[in-house]
Amino acid sequence: MNRALPEMLHCLNGPATSTDMTVLERQRARMKWQPQEQQGYFGGSDQFAGLFLEPGQVGSFQGLLGGESVLGEVLTRSVKPDPGLENGWPELLNMGFTEFDMNCAISRTSSCPPTVAPPPPEAKGKVSPPAEKVSSAVGRESFKKRKADKLQNTKVVAEDDSKDKRSKVCAEEGESKITEQTSNKDNNRETSADTSKENSKASEAQKPDYIHVRARRGQATDSHSLAERVRREKISERMKYLQDLVPGCNKITGKAGMLDEIINYVQSLQRQVEFLSMKLAAVNPRLDFNIEDLFAKEMFPACSTGFPTIGMSSEMTNPAYLQFNPAQQVVACCGLDMGMNNTADMGLRRTISTPASIPETYLDSSCFTQLQPSSTWDADVQNLFNLEFHQGRSISFPSQPFTGSIEASNLKMEL
Amino acid sequence: MATKGVTLNTNARKIRFARRFISILLKMRKTRSPCSSSSIEDVRKRSQRIKIAAYSSMAHAVGPRRAWSRAVLFKLRSRARHQSMMKRRSFGLQKKRVVVVKNNNDIIPSGQLSQADRLRQLVPGGKAMDMCSLLEETADYISCLATQVKVMQTIADHFSK
Repeated sequence: MNRALPEMLHCLNGPATSTDMTVLERQRARMKWQPQEQQGYFGGSDQFAGLFLEPGQVGSFQGLLGGESVLGEVLTRSVKPDPGLENGWPELLNMGFTEFDMNCAISRTSSCPPTVAPPPPEAKGKVSPPAEKVSSAVGRESFKKRKADKLQNTKVVAEDDSKDKRSKVCAEEGESKITEQTSNKDNNRETSADTSKENSKASEAQKPDYIHVRARRGQATDSHSLAERVRREKISERMKYLQDLVPGCNKITGKAGMLDEIINYVQSLQRQVEFLSMKLAAVNPRLDFNIEDLFAKEMFPACSTGFPTIGMSSEMTNPAYLQFNPAQQVVACCGLDMGMNNTADMGLRRTISTPASIPETYLDSSCFTQLQPSSTWDADVQNLFNLEFHQGRSISFPSQPFTGSIEASNLKMEL
Repeated sequence: MATKGVTLNTNARKIRFARRFISILLKMRKTRSPCSSSSIEDVRKRSQRIKIAAYSSMAHAVGPRRAWSRAVLFKLRSRARHQSMMKRRSFGLQKKRVVVVKNNNDIIPSGQLSQADRLRQLVPGGKAMDMCSLLEETADYISCLATQVKVMQTIADHFSK
């Protein structure tokens, strides 16, 4: 375990203080730390304790390094979740956690009991300069806060303002914030700009920014707010993805509106499935079922979905279905109405509009329609194979015409 | 989410779904008597069966990777089990077997269901999901439904030509 710490120092010293490197470094450090977490780090912690308590020495470290040392401290202390351990370096733990909970497995360790008494001011005084450095480094990093546990909340400020103020802030802090990956750049800019403001406002209501927050002891509400923030972030991410999926949602910004659109879209898709199954049930009695045509078509849905209305009209005029016409027409009209009455971006219209987006399949469809009237197995199958090759399928069949329909259908079934 | 990966995934799913669905349709066509009456009731029953076939083949195409597909498959299997048990038992016992579905969702909230609840009702297996995973499952479900609709549309068009 001891070797891990110098290792960490090493890798910390290596890179420049660019935020990207620090992120990578932190992540690498985290990866290194993770397997070692279970071990005790008391030996290593002593080294760090010495480093930590000397502000001058700490000042010479990069912010990242300072953070890592704090991490080391924290790890050593926090690996064991005993309340007794808290007595030694509660403040250190607090400070350390601020930096590290986000990228560490230390989040596990941060589950220190919330009953630790507030640290004495002098400890805070010592801790704050390195904490400041640490926090500055941390603030510049782009992490997503780990949701594992948020027992402690502190607001880390990245400036060397009045330490007393800072310590007070840290002591009374009940806030929890999370650095977000998405708002990393904002964080970088704003943490440096707003740290002074934050110092003064520390005890006020939370700023929706940046600095990585570490749960401070005891405040259940804050841990909840931390967890909630993570949760909200995840939800907004998923909503964005859904916005791409559901057509016509680009203008809608609210969560409620989006949910409405999503619900409508799902309902419309389900209704379409029902309508199509009804249509298939009505159409099913047709005896000539060219399977290979079907497979080719479904591989190129664009070419056939270009004529949904035509298909329906032909179905209606077919004399074999005259007796169905009333029911079918009703069903078809209802389906069409449902399709058309819904928002412009319903799936039906989408299928109609797909040909516009896939121009290359027009060629295929045209040669397809040419071969259709011939209705020879050879031509159809050959065409199918050509189309398959064109689409770059991994199926490699010799392009020899099959003479038997059964063979072809069996082959397709085996595919 | 690499777009190329997504499209490859959807293509594979599309093929699997199409194959399964068409085989089921063929089976239905074979078992169906050639001179059936084709009354509206029959059409309705067949359409119901086709709908179930569509959803089941889609769930099979997706596999057990997704929560919603697992929910669909579970429902299908429990329904099949229930039906086989109904057939075996006599009618007298069937009364006991009737499952009473308590709609707790409707009883407890007095007013309208929230949007999340409505979405949960739409997406299979959504009742037990938290918002985060519900949205994820919804996204996957929507993409699968869209491919399902496209394939079914293709098949229906082919039939109607």
